[in-house]
Amino acid sequence: MDMTFRTVMSVGVATAALCLSVSAQAKDAKDISVAVIPKVAVPFFDDCNKGAQQAADKTGVKYQWVVPQNTQGSTQVKIIEDLISKHVDGIAISVNEPKSVESVMKRAEQSGIKVLTFDSDSPKSGRSMYIGTNNESAGETMAETMGKALGGSGDVAIVTGQLGAVNLNERIAGIKKGLAKYPGIKIVETQGTDDDLARGVSVVETTLRAHPQLKGIFGVSQVGGPAVSKVLNTKEFGAMKGKLEVLAFDDLPDTLKALKDGSIQGIMVQRPVTMGSLAVNNLVAQIQGTGEAPKDIDTGVTVVTKDNLGSYTK
Amino acid sequence: MAAISSKEDSQPVHTRLSDTLRGWLKIRELNIFSVLLLVGILISIFSPYFLTTNNLMGVFRSFSLIAIMSIGMMLVIITGGIDLSVGSVMGLSSLVTALAFQHGAGPVTAVFAGLFVGLAVGCFNGFLVTWIQLPPFIATLGTLSIGRGLMYMITKGVPVTPDVPDSFTFIGQGYLGLVPFPVVIMIFMTICFSVLMRQTRFGRHVYATGGNEMAARLSGVRTFRVKFIVYALSGLIASIAGIVSFSRFVSAEPASGFGAELDVIAAAAIGGASLSGGAGSVEGAIIGAALAGIIANGVVLLNIDTYAQQAITGCVILIAVSIDIWRVRRKGR
Repeated sequence: MDMTFRTVMSVGVATAALCLSVSAQAKDAKDISVAVIPKVAVPFFDDCNKGAQQAADKTGVKYQWVVPQNTQGSTQVKIIEDLISKHVDGIAISVNEPKSVESVMKRAEQSGIKVLTFDSDSPKSGRSMYIGTNNESAGETMAETMGKALGGSGDVAIVTGQLGAVNLNERIAGIKKGLAKYPGIKIVETQGTDDDLARGVSVVETTLRAHPQLKGIFGVSQVGGPAVSKVLNTKEFGAMKGKLEVLAFDDLPDTLKALKDGSIQGIMVQRPVTMGSLAVNNLVAQIQGTGEAPKDIDTGVTVVTKDNLGSYTK
Repeated sequence: MAAISSKEDSQPVHTRLSDTLRGWLKIRELNIFSVLLLVGILISIFSPYFLTTNNLMGVFRSFSLIAIMSIGMMLVIITGGIDLSVGSVMGLSSLVTALAFQHGAGPVTAVFAGLFVGLAVGCFNGFLVTWIQLPPFIATLGTLSIGRGLMYMITKGVPVTPDVPDSFTFIGQGYLGLVPFPVVIMIFMTICFSVLMRQTRFGRHVYATGGNEMAARLSGVRTFRVKFIVYALSGLIASIAGIVSFSRFVSAEPASGFGAELDVIAAAAIGGASLSGGAGSVEGAIIGAALAGIIANGVVLLNIDTYAQQAITGCVILIAVSIDIWRVRRKGR
């Protein structure tokens, strides 16, 4: 508790001093404060925090990680407003609901704060750049992997998270685009789970019962891996392990375990640590006026199978 | 509150300025208000940005929605009931307003559509509680679930984001001078309902119904009508919050308002509401909402771990209400 008060006091005094001083053109690193806002508290963003914190430590800027309590657009709007009041220099955000944050992000930019999006974009918000996985190409990569594994024909199902999530729907669009090359593969089901594990398990079970001839499953959000692994480890569906080609997204511990025991054949792993560190580095570069003109960065995915399980980076 | 003699019941209430001022020092809301001031002072010591106009107006605007809904909730709680459906109603009226715009309606029609939804659900709640005699907890729990389900069925999980005219976005995003319009709405409604509860017969009937329903009914208070009206009002007020919310974010999300009922009940509890009825005030509810609002703001300004926010809010609520109860016991009021 003592440390927190002391830290808070020194931050308070430093920012008070900052208010009184005339704003300089090229700011000293230790006077710069950046804030990073994820969507919500899930493990994927802990990796983003790690990358961002590392970059902040290396550049010496003040770093703040603000986690919304829920996925509603209004919560992130409130956080951004509070950060504007606090006069931070840069904000990086993974957007829950693209429309609701447009006006507050424009307001932040007008007041001189550098704003960029990572992982999940709000294209019409006037942000300087978007750093993240090009979801459509990730979906195409998934479709390619599935097509080769199934030999070009079979029934497949798609299990996604929030039905309204822009990044997930882009992945699904990419899958459909990639599957155009394999006309023998048919998508028989697309189901949403809100990334809730219990819902995911029940959706996978129902899908397997309704389509006993199913050959593959696309787990488009992070719940897919754990859900399928739980289902394939029960008595009822244990026999299907290894006979289904399951591709998942994001390397949660349960998903990795499933890859090792054969329930899952491939994981699309994003690069959240890279996203975090690129976000902070680009914000600092924009604040200090160094670096080239900002443009979008695709951090891509790694296709992880049993072969490269121990050697991939994020 | 002092006992009211039957003679005064038939006369309009007059108060002199000195009586009012003396009365102010004794009012119960001062307890909670001092806690609010204390927390505010604490935050402003550690952050120079708290007391800036922009920040304070922003904070007022963020808690104005909970504050508006807590007015309706306070009325319901005073009658000894509870309305768990307010979050659902807020979300549903947001959605209906958005759909109205999507189908080409003008701002006035869309607003009325949203208000109608709130009033309809409120009346349905009132009907369940007074005619069917369901316990309010069960009745409003049912409407909460129906409302949530309807929202997911209609949106299929995708937010509704129609084009809206500037005249409509003024409600949620406009300013009167320095004051954001939602704050103006909040202040206006607080004054109206404060007068309603303190100065009119209906207000006293609400307190009477909550204090002792049997005694009130035997004294001639139409308790069923009073209860029906407060539930209808709660629904209508929640729809006002929904319309303001949609006007601010221009996006009707399927999970909009989810969990808001707990924040609203917490605000009412800080405002002196007793869940067995008969106590509490509209002004207290506003102060309760303000307290929760500035804590959320303080957490970001002071760079406190956001995971700690809910825990901090919970602790402050317990402390605030304990101080209030302790002072009431001590003064024997």
